[in-house]
Amino acid sequence: MFVRRFKLLLAALTTLVLTSGGLIDGHAQSRVSIGVTETIETHNPYGDSVSLLYGIWSEVTGPFCTFNYDKGDFEGRLAERWKVENPTTWVFYLNKNYKFNDGSPVTADDVVHSMMHRVINDPQSRQKASVAGPIVKAEAVDKFTVRFITKNPAAPLLSFVCDRLIVTSKAAFDKHGRDAADRQHMMGGGPYSLKELVPGQRLVLAKRPDHPQAKKNPKAPDEIVFRVMREVEQRVTALINDEIQIAQFIPPHMRVRVEKIPDLRIAPVNSIEIMFLAMQPKPPFDKKEVRQAVCHAINRDQIISTILEGFASRLDGPIGAGQYGYDANLKPKMEYNVERSKRLLAQAGYPQGVDVELQTPVGRYTLDKQLTEAMTAMLNNAGFRARLLTPEWPTLWANVQKGTIPFYYMGRGSVQDPSAALHQYFRSGETPRIGYSNKKVDELLEKEQQEFDPKKRRQFLSQAMSILTEEAPACFLWRHKLLWGLSNKVDYKPLPDGRIYGVDITMRR
Amino acid sequence: MQSLTLESAIEKKAGLLDRLLPRLHVKAFTGGLIVAIFIAVGILGPALAPHNPNHQELTAMLKAPQGLGSVHLLGTDNLGRDMLSRVIYGARVSLLVAFAVVFISGFIGISLGAISGYLGGKVDFVIQKLVEVVWAFPPLLLGITIMAFLGQGLFNLILALVAQRWIPYCRVVRGQTLSLREREFVVAAQCLGASRTQIITRHIIPNLIQTSLVIGTFAMASSIIAEASLSFLGVGVPPEIPTWGTMLADARIYISTAWWLPLFPGLCIFITVLGINLLGDALRDILDPRLKRTASGI
Amino acid sequence: MTSYLVHRLAGTVPVLLLISLLVFLLIHAAPGDPTLLLLGEETNAAEVAKAKELWGLDRPLHIQYFKFLTSASVGEFGKSFKYGEPVANVIKSRLPATIELALFSIIIATVLAIPLGVWSGSKPNSWMDNFGTTFGLFGISMPSFWLAIMLILLLAGVLNILPTSGRSTYGIAGPEMSGFYLFDSIWQKNWRGAWDALTHIFMPALALGVNMLGILMRVTRSAILEVMNEEYVVTARAKGLAEKRVLWRHVTSNALIPVITVVGLELGTLLSGSIIVETVFAWPGSGSLLITALNARDYPLVTGLVMTYTVAFVIINLVIDGLYAVIDPRIRY
Repeated sequence: MFVRRFKLLLAALTTLVLTSGGLIDGHAQSRVSIGVTETIETHNPYGDSVSLLYGIWSEVTGPFCTFNYDKGDFEGRLAERWKVENPTTWVFYLNKNYKFNDGSPVTADDVVHSMMHRVINDPQSRQKASVAGPIVKAEAVDKFTVRFITKNPAAPLLSFVCDRLIVTSKAAFDKHGRDAADRQHMMGGGPYSLKELVPGQRLVLAKRPDHPQAKKNPKAPDEIVFRVMREVEQRVTALINDEIQIAQFIPPHMRVRVEKIPDLRIAPVNSIEIMFLAMQPKPPFDKKEVRQAVCHAINRDQIISTILEGFASRLDGPIGAGQYGYDANLKPKMEYNVERSKRLLAQAGYPQGVDVELQTPVGRYTLDKQLTEAMTAMLNNAGFRARLLTPEWPTLWANVQKGTIPFYYMGRGSVQDPSAALHQYFRSGETPRIGYSNKKVDELLEKEQQEFDPKKRRQFLSQAMSILTEEAPACFLWRHKLLWGLSNKVDYKPLPDGRIYGVDITMRR
Repeated sequence: MQSLTLESAIEKKAGLLDRLLPRLHVKAFTGGLIVAIFIAVGILGPALAPHNPNHQELTAMLKAPQGLGSVHLLGTDNLGRDMLSRVIYGARVSLLVAFAVVFISGFIGISLGAISGYLGGKVDFVIQKLVEVVWAFPPLLLGITIMAFLGQGLFNLILALVAQRWIPYCRVVRGQTLSLREREFVVAAQCLGASRTQIITRHIIPNLIQTSLVIGTFAMASSIIAEASLSFLGVGVPPEIPTWGTMLADARIYISTAWWLPLFPGLCIFITVLGINLLGDALRDILDPRLKRTASGI
Repeated sequence: MTSYLVHRLAGTVPVLLLISLLVFLLIHAAPGDPTLLLLGEETNAAEVAKAKELWGLDRPLHIQYFKFLTSASVGEFGKSFKYGEPVANVIKSRLPATIELALFSIIIATVLAIPLGVWSGSKPNSWMDNFGTTFGLFGISMPSFWLAIMLILLLAGVLNILPTSGRSTYGIAGPEMSGFYLFDSIWQKNWRGAWDALTHIFMPALALGVNMLGILMRVTRSAILEVMNEEYVVTARAKGLAEKRVLWRHVTSNALIPVITVVGLELGTLLSGSIIVETVFAWPGSGSLLITALNARDYPLVTGLVMTYTVAFVIINLVIDGLYAVIDPRIRY
């Protein structure tokens, strides 16, 4: 009897141990864990304005529409198709098969509610400028048709709402109130539903197999766990230990560790974040020659080949290949030329050199401190007397916004369509970040925003970008090639904007 | 540092000076040697460093140390800069900061402590309340907040470190002043009509020097670590000044790929602090008989 | 003694008030605007103004402080700008991680230091003593963040026996109960989870506790040395009691006082040291929360955290003083 009891105990213990590890389960669920650098803080889908979270919440609720990087154009999802009724009115037609978790269809009312009440008018929303953008009103035309009205004609409107507009349930909001609706009754029309959210640690999504998008890729994982792993060492080690199967953003020098493991691979992706040196038109940067001297002083190719180990693509102008409006023949090209720099400085009245202070954040962009240290040395070689400052991000950002930092290294993300970024940094009076003002550029930027003919719009953009490159209120440096670590258990092509869509992931085994 | 008076008080009672003497020499010698080397390197830095610590060589990044006789004895860092030269220059900063912080905070702390202890009453009350409030702050936090407020810079860093470090001096000195106050030579000076300032500066403070010296030695060690901590968190000096803490911070993403990056700066901090502590220990043993048993207020 | 404690407690109130004022001023004085930091890259002036109004940042400073005081006095620290939740909840969710870490550091430090100190002190000037003292010296001289990095390099990198960071491996731990992972796992009889929690906490706790280890060892040794010569010990020896019994019964219990003092005094350092250690190990505690809050200029959260730390500090000091009275009957307040 004792032996029997012992066997029972052993069996119980074993079962306990095994089930607590999730090894014995009803049906083998496929799960993919992803180590991400952004932190997931709040249950409010409108409470953050970060690429990763736009992607996650879009997956739970749509997405509304999406940008297909392979095709280079926008595609319908929740909003199946659209048309421009008149320059200030866009009409979107919803897919009738997108349903909330409780089976009710996603309707135009939900879209209107989301846009007006959650994005625009909710004080806790961080998304008004990025998602609503030029939109001032949303109204339902019929059950599955919705209209967006803009103040001025806005040709790039899709880049504001696609992969960004999060459509939540009006009914849930009305019934439970905002916080309870977000926390306990989070519902969306997307292919994945929210299973768990632990702020600062993880977010878990569960597949909805009956969703039209999920049906298109039946091998997509049943469960996706986004784990906040801000430290590089942590991510890489977790990938190597198979704790995660996808690791975001691995610095170039650590890829060797990953490549050594036969079950892992590195996938480089061209990001759409443009990195640049911004210069305010105040002395000494009030002179164009000085600004151009800065651009000619930086040996971008050497930095890319050494520090970035080849994982960046040089920018000759505000945008590069794959971004809307890219012109490979854009002139002028600010080539690396130390002699030219020195000559320009002399021309501008600084034959003995000039003192400048470059400021950079630390740890915000890939190898930011290292890159700017190298650039400072290059500036010093070209006749400048440059110093580097590394203020805390909050201080730096506040001062950049106020317009009190004359010279800084910065990145601008999500530049799928350059319009928003160009307006933000280079249009007179938009923001004090650089404070540059050029009538011709203003004219061109205004025209492009209202031009719905793609060919004409590209022309305006090209012209504006050409002037900007020559005038050099900023030196456009590079776009990083971001390295993702992938386990061979999954098939996945990372997107340039850092969003991760579960339906794009395929389990190999 | 908290254990300072506790330990010494206990040991004194045990009458162990005799038993300690043989060890004293070893301690004093080793500690003194390390500190002497540290100071020498700090002062002679530019002459000793084989390369310019800020000279970048992008084609020679992350080279491991190749052993004696190589161009870069301790390898190069993530921008191709010579590690040995950077470590030597880092000593300069640590030295400067340590001495500056100790002297400034010592000056403030001793003065306030003596004044507080001697004058008593309202002055004492106000100063002690100030001590309580500032001391209750988690130390690193105060430093970080002050640096956020002041911005990067060597002087600002020193200020941020002094902000809390004057307190141990103040406390101990106050305690000793309280007892010294009643001693005959002070009473005599008072009878002879000496002013309060004269009494404080001529009679009280000279008697506090020994204690302050011991406190100062240990304070130096903790200042070096504190500076490194703040630099490590990114709120220290601008990048053109190499410090051990900043080097450690830069090395964090290279832990698994370039072990020499975090090893050497950290080792320097460790050995320097060790040497100072050894010296402090020895000093305290020597001055032990004169230390009174004060309240464990450090 | 109760009256003494009450008296002490009353005395801390003005101090806490002053501290809250100091924190408030410092954090508001630091350059950086929480609205700009939290509203994202693409925001504009109108949004910023609205957020400022919502968070009460557009009112004059003394009004903001007054509002803060009145709500703080009823335990309401306001809502965190970044998380949108009451500050108390945010802190509560992260505090157990730090407490667990601190407790473990103390355990590691005492378990290693006290026997070493006793050993050392009972045989002064022997090779054991020399080893012990050197060890203690190493302990107090070690920069904790360097030790942290070296431990990661060696144990996680080269030897690969411990995880580099974090608190647990996803999927192993059971549902969270108290927030103390080790305790929860043991309570739920989740042995895999307990082991997992243990492997994750070991390195951070060691790095955090190394300074305390050194000090404790030295203090214990000194205390032993002193007590060894006390009359009652000599008496016990003369009575012919076994050395071991003498040691453990008389010597050690009397040496507890300075040990407790040190632990109490070092707790403040421990709390602030956890800020760095938590950063290096990506430990989701209140230390790393503080860094996050500072970087976001989340005024309510920073203030709440600092007040939490200081209150904890004050209470610990009080408890230590109380413990004295319990251990040493000679001490009377």
